[in-house]
Amino acid sequence: MPPGVPPGVPPGVPPLPPPLHIDGLAVRYPGRREPSLAGIDLAVGAGERVGVAGRTGAGKSTLALAAAGFIPRVVRATIDGHVTIDRTDAPGAAAGALLGRVGIVFATPANQLSASKLTVREELAFGLENLGVPRAEMDDRIDATLARLDIGHLADREPFALSGGEQQRVAIASIVAMGTSVLVLDEPTAQLDPAGTVGVADLLDELARAGASVLCAEHDPSVLGRMDRCLVLDAGRSVALDVPGAALEHAHAVAGTAVPTLVRLAQAASLDPVRAFDEDAIVAGLRACGGRFERAAAEPAAVDPPGWVPVRARGPVRIAIEGLVHRYPTGIEAVRGVSLSIEPGEAVAILGQNGSGKTTLVKHLNGLLRPAAGRVLLDGEGIAGRTIAALAGTVGFVFQNPDEQLFERTVEREVAFGPRNLGIASADIGALVASSLAAVGLIDERSTNPYDLDLSRRKLVALAGILAMNPAVLLLDEPTTGQDADGVARVGSVVEAMRAAGRTVVSITHDMEFAARHFTRIVVLRAGVVVADGPPSHVFAAANRELLASTGLTPPPAARIAARLGLDLTPLDAASLLAALRD
Amino acid sequence: MSVATGYFVAGSSWLHRRHPLTKLLALALVLLAEFLLPPVVLPVLAVAIVTAAWTAGLLGSVARAMRIPAFLLLSILVVNSLFYPGAKDVLLPVGPLSITREGLTFGLISAGRVLVAFLASVAFLFTTLADDLLEALIDRGASHRIAFVVLSAVQMVPRMQARAGAILEAQQARGLSLEGSFARRLRALVPLVGPVILGSLIDVRERTFALEARGFGARPGRTAYRIVADPPLDRWLRLAIVAACLGVVAAAVSGALR
Repeated sequence: MPPGVPPGVPPGVPPLPPPLHIDGLAVRYPGRREPSLAGIDLAVGAGERVGVAGRTGAGKSTLALAAAGFIPRVVRATIDGHVTIDRTDAPGAAAGALLGRVGIVFATPANQLSASKLTVREELAFGLENLGVPRAEMDDRIDATLARLDIGHLADREPFALSGGEQQRVAIASIVAMGTSVLVLDEPTAQLDPAGTVGVADLLDELARAGASVLCAEHDPSVLGRMDRCLVLDAGRSVALDVPGAALEHAHAVAGTAVPTLVRLAQAASLDPVRAFDEDAIVAGLRACGGRFERAAAEPAAVDPPGWVPVRARGPVRIAIEGLVHRYPTGIEAVRGVSLSIEPGEAVAILGQNGSGKTTLVKHLNGLLRPAAGRVLLDGEGIAGRTIAALAGTVGFVFQNPDEQLFERTVEREVAFGPRNLGIASADIGALVASSLAAVGLIDERSTNPYDLDLSRRKLVALAGILAMNPAVLLLDEPTTGQDADGVARVGSVVEAMRAAGRTVVSITHDMEFAARHFTRIVVLRAGVVVADGPPSHVFAAANRELLASTGLTPPPAARIAARLGLDLTPLDAASLLAALRD
Repeated sequence: MSVATGYFVAGSSWLHRRHPLTKLLALALVLLAEFLLPPVVLPVLAVAIVTAAWTAGLLGSVARAMRIPAFLLLSILVVNSLFYPGAKDVLLPVGPLSITREGLTFGLISAGRVLVAFLASVAFLFTTLADDLLEALIDRGASHRIAFVVLSAVQMVPRMQARAGAILEAQQARGLSLEGSFARRLRALVPLVGPVILGSLIDVRERTFALEARGFGARPGRTAYRIVADPPLDRWLRLAIVAACLGVVAAAVSGALR
């Protein structure tokens, strides 16, 4: 079906112009020599979902801003070419002209809401007020939107008390309630747990079925795979526009981006790329192959991150958590009796839904939180009497949001802040900073102001800042959110290098493939208690499927497919699944 | 305390039920009176505000909030009592220093002004929803930009508090020590204040985008979903308060001329 033709239009009827039409778009930000986007052509038809993929810095966000009519009115940049929304020229449109035609949702859930409303219902009313909808009509429109998007149960909840996934759905609903026909999203699931991601992706399907045009910039293959088409950007240019399977495969060939596991399996089974994310077809295709694959599955992009090289020696540290209970002042028991023993050289991924107690648990390991009952021991010694700053030399903690710690003028000074606090000799600080920046691939940015880097690279600066403190134990809170495949590989290489050096890594993550690939042990939390603990191949085994589902998690794709093929073992990536099938 | 509710203390007392603009005007009246009228009004105002808070069931909340200005009030009083320049009338020698009558008087008046301003402000913030204030301002023809600035100001402190807590944790985890000499603690402020400001700027950009996407202020003829109650009593009260404000200014001007 050509773009622009809504589903169900009989032949012979002249096609309507596509609601979103981009023609020869080029964008350059002030002060930059190179354009951030050039030569982009794209039409998104009514009822069509188009994904935008590409590395960090490829221009995905810029395209989203331009498609939503934010450039140049809200974000200053020079724009060439045409962006037409609902037959209105977007760059030239006055502030109110695009209202109710196009809307945009960004990554940080809490920032998508108006911040002053006490109920979801009032939040949805906010856009209608600005449109000037008569009050008598508002409740009907709000109810209709809530019902259509299946979030009626949230109507009277306070927006700020919702989970990130729920907040994103409310943000989308409040745009949709305005009658918007073109919805643009910029990494809407980057900060969500797996259940929240599925909820948002389901919602986009629902909207497309109702005739909306959806343009969604994303890294997550599970979201991209559900789009009708996928545009792949590389250095501001379009390198592929096709069904997601074909576009991501082609992008690998021309731009070296990673190929999602399901696409690689579909390739191996010689499936039509249209079905590259269709798990039923992949299972049937792999069965039909009988272990002989026509095309070898492409290996992941050869980024080969340098890892991390320890500069100073460090004795191993054993962690023991005994009967830990944490109660917040509100009375909520976030951790309800957790005991874990973590040996040096282990890499432990902590999984679980938002609110399952992951962050609360990990914050006890460096004294940020103190338990109501139970204790934490490092090498057999209780940490109750030691301050956070005193523990910082042993236990490094990389927070989820880098903007809660970056303040220096340059990346180099920023990374040196931690080791300087520890009183490390300045000769050693230089070496520690250099090896940490090399490990995260930012050695060339040492003189850059951290805030001139994008969020994903600011996260890597924060990681380098902790690595430079030479910790025996590295704690990570969602280190891969907002990272592209290269960024995830970099963080993974740091985890493996730390482990190889006999250090311990404990990471909270929502990324199942990251956990499966780089960690030796998986701990699953549900409502403050450990419900599964073991090596990834054990925790992600078919037998645990129900248990994982009860925590809103699903095994990584290769393990899912293996389970459906009835294999006894649990492969964690495409290559090992195919190897198992060959035998 | 959430960002959406700010300092609002849930309730339906007579003070909660007043229209936001009535309370905003009353706050203005208190501020005018305490700075323009003779200091003898300070205890009257303080008692009046505390009584109002008490009858609105807010005495506990106000008492807890007093932790915030307590140190400032005390230091204003102590510094002025002991070091008021040119004071001669000694009331009580304290070691090498002495408490002077002029100093004590000036300290009491200054601290009283800060106290009354603080009490009036918290009584306003505790009983007024940010969103009601926003609606009330827009309804009276304030531009959406002014309304947004007022809303941001009301929400700024809860937002910054939430942020500051997270930043404190992140920097302590990087070995930042908050103990030691005064100079050391002063230096420790840079890594704490820096991210509060820089991070808030990034937040503001994102939040502005979100409001933009929802068309805040993009078109004339905005309608309102939430109805902010404005009982007839409030209209009379506002008239009375405006008259009182004019009276205060007139009294101050005539007093100054005399």
